[in-house]
Amino acid sequence: MENRNIEERHTENDGRLLSARVATKASANMYSPPGFFKLQIKRLKKHRLILWFIIPAALFTLIFSYIPMMGVLFAFKDTKFDYAMRAGADILGALQYSAWTLETIKAIFNSDFLSALWNSVFINLIKLVIVFPLSILIAVQLSELKNQTSAKLVLIIICIPNFLSWTTVVATWNGFLDPSFGFLGKMLKDLTKGESLTYYEWSFKPLFVFLNAWKGAGWGCIMYYAAITAIDKTYYESATIEGANKFQKTLYLTIPSIAPTIALMLVMNISGFLGVGLDQVKLMLDKASYYDSQKTLDLYIYEMSIGNGAGVSYVQAAALGVFNGLTGLILMLVGNKITTKTLHKSLW
Amino acid sequence: MKTLLKANPNKIRESKFDRAFSVVNIILLVFMVILVGVPVLNYFSLAFNHYAYNNKVSIIPAKFSFRAMGYVLGGEYDGFWRAFLNSVIITFVVTFVSNFVEALAAYPLSKSDCPCKSGIMMYFIITMLFSAGIVPIYLLMRTFNLLNNIWSIILISISNVMNLLFFKTFFEGLPNDIEEAAVLDGASSLQLFVFVIIPMSLPVFGSCCFFSIVGCWNGIGSALIFIDSQTVSQQPLAYFLYIKLSEGNSAAMYDDFLRDWGKNIEAASMFVSIIPILFIYPYVVRYIKGGLTIGSVKG
Repeated sequence: MENRNIEERHTENDGRLLSARVATKASANMYSPPGFFKLQIKRLKKHRLILWFIIPAALFTLIFSYIPMMGVLFAFKDTKFDYAMRAGADILGALQYSAWTLETIKAIFNSDFLSALWNSVFINLIKLVIVFPLSILIAVQLSELKNQTSAKLVLIIICIPNFLSWTTVVATWNGFLDPSFGFLGKMLKDLTKGESLTYYEWSFKPLFVFLNAWKGAGWGCIMYYAAITAIDKTYYESATIEGANKFQKTLYLTIPSIAPTIALMLVMNISGFLGVGLDQVKLMLDKASYYDSQKTLDLYIYEMSIGNGAGVSYVQAAALGVFNGLTGLILMLVGNKITTKTLHKSLW
Repeated sequence: MKTLLKANPNKIRESKFDRAFSVVNIILLVFMVILVGVPVLNYFSLAFNHYAYNNKVSIIPAKFSFRAMGYVLGGEYDGFWRAFLNSVIITFVVTFVSNFVEALAAYPLSKSDCPCKSGIMMYFIITMLFSAGIVPIYLLMRTFNLLNNIWSIILISISNVMNLLFFKTFFEGLPNDIEEAAVLDGASSLQLFVFVIIPMSLPVFGSCCFFSIVGCWNGIGSALIFIDSQTVSQQPLAYFLYIKLSEGNSAAMYDDFLRDWGKNIEAASMFVSIIPILFIYPYVVRYIKGGLTIGSVKG
């Protein structure tokens, strides 16, 4: 054991000497750097003792991210795959049993899908117009307070909903809007004809976006608030001397200074543009039946993929999943490209 | 400079516009605080209220009663503590295993001369960019026979590339000399990581663990996929409460006590479910007060 340790230390030292020699050699004749593979092998030797650290995380990623990615194949299978899966076959058996086809992908673009897609996109558009700027607005407002201790106190309070589960958030607002004992529900009783606001079809989307803002806006503003506090105060002083009022300072100084952060958050936001959050939808639509205008894409896919009922179709749900994933990927890449080009700031 | 400003605090007089701006600003912020505070207080007062006075509840209980809380805390609520235990197990295992595994992987990747660094990073980052949806994961868990089992939730939550990136960014800033000294003193690679790197990286471990805890405790996304509504013994707490919320008062039809106290019990169970979050909330407070640097994207 002792010997082995010493030996290891020796080779470790040798490795270091080797890399030092490589470095001097490389700097001596700049025009012949070591080849790619040679370099990688040198580095491998140097770090051989810690490289195995990557293996556990790589394995988890392989099993729970890469193997499911093979599920893209399901989208190119016919409905025999569903029968086989429902009959209890394993995945490989079902794959062999069913034939390759493009019909599944063609079949997903039906009217139900389009209405679900529109619902999701619509909700996300409102979120982008209202919830996204709201976080920036709160951050600007907080930074405008003279007393930054009270600004942090406000921040601590409005961050609370973010740490409640969606179950608690929806239950809280169901209670708050309840016409018999809810604080707001009692006030709105006459306006809503004795029912809770959650009861109506038209109120679903506004309430959905509102709850999203209520839960996330406080926590969402933290990034912007941090960026604003990092701005050099002398800019503000000189702007004041030049006679700018607070509104002008916000518009021409604060917002441009945090534009990179805004762009980054925007890209992250739009990459999930087709999803609205399955848990929130499920919670807000916990009744047995609901309207088509309330069915979002998440819910549509979820109902198509879980369980053993008649509406379940694994191949179609897989095709929708691929559509979802690809759209998100393209949006993210395009968004990242734009921010890299215009603001020289990349997501990775 | 500072003394000069103190001597003339009103050197530049605020214009009327600015004063109006400040007033509107403060009013809006107070409104937001009320908007956050009042619904929460209104709902959780029900947990401590007597059911007969439910319609008189404001932001404090109308008539204080500990009956609903006693029902939940005392174990009369079927399945509640089992679900609580499930959530504790999930949170505990995922927080420790996930953060340890990701930090372990981040350490070699933080070296500037790690072999095939960009390739390995790409391997991890691709999983953040593209996923094939819920069907393949559902069928995978079915193949592993892990449906209706909390281990499906645990396993799917362990891989967390976001945390890997946080760890990597942090490790890149650590001084190299200490590691070299530890190696010279004869520390093995794992010893080096556990006894040298982790103690130096407690801030980033703190924030990553914090987000793991909150995510596991509150998440119902994977439970919706893997656990059905009948398997009560394998439900995490947030999912259990969701099922109770959506089932409504089906049991209450045959039980006078449940019919009367149903809403109060619901509020009480929600209240108990957020107690662990209340315990770690001081961390958020410290994080906000301490200048908001940990975990933010460095660029």
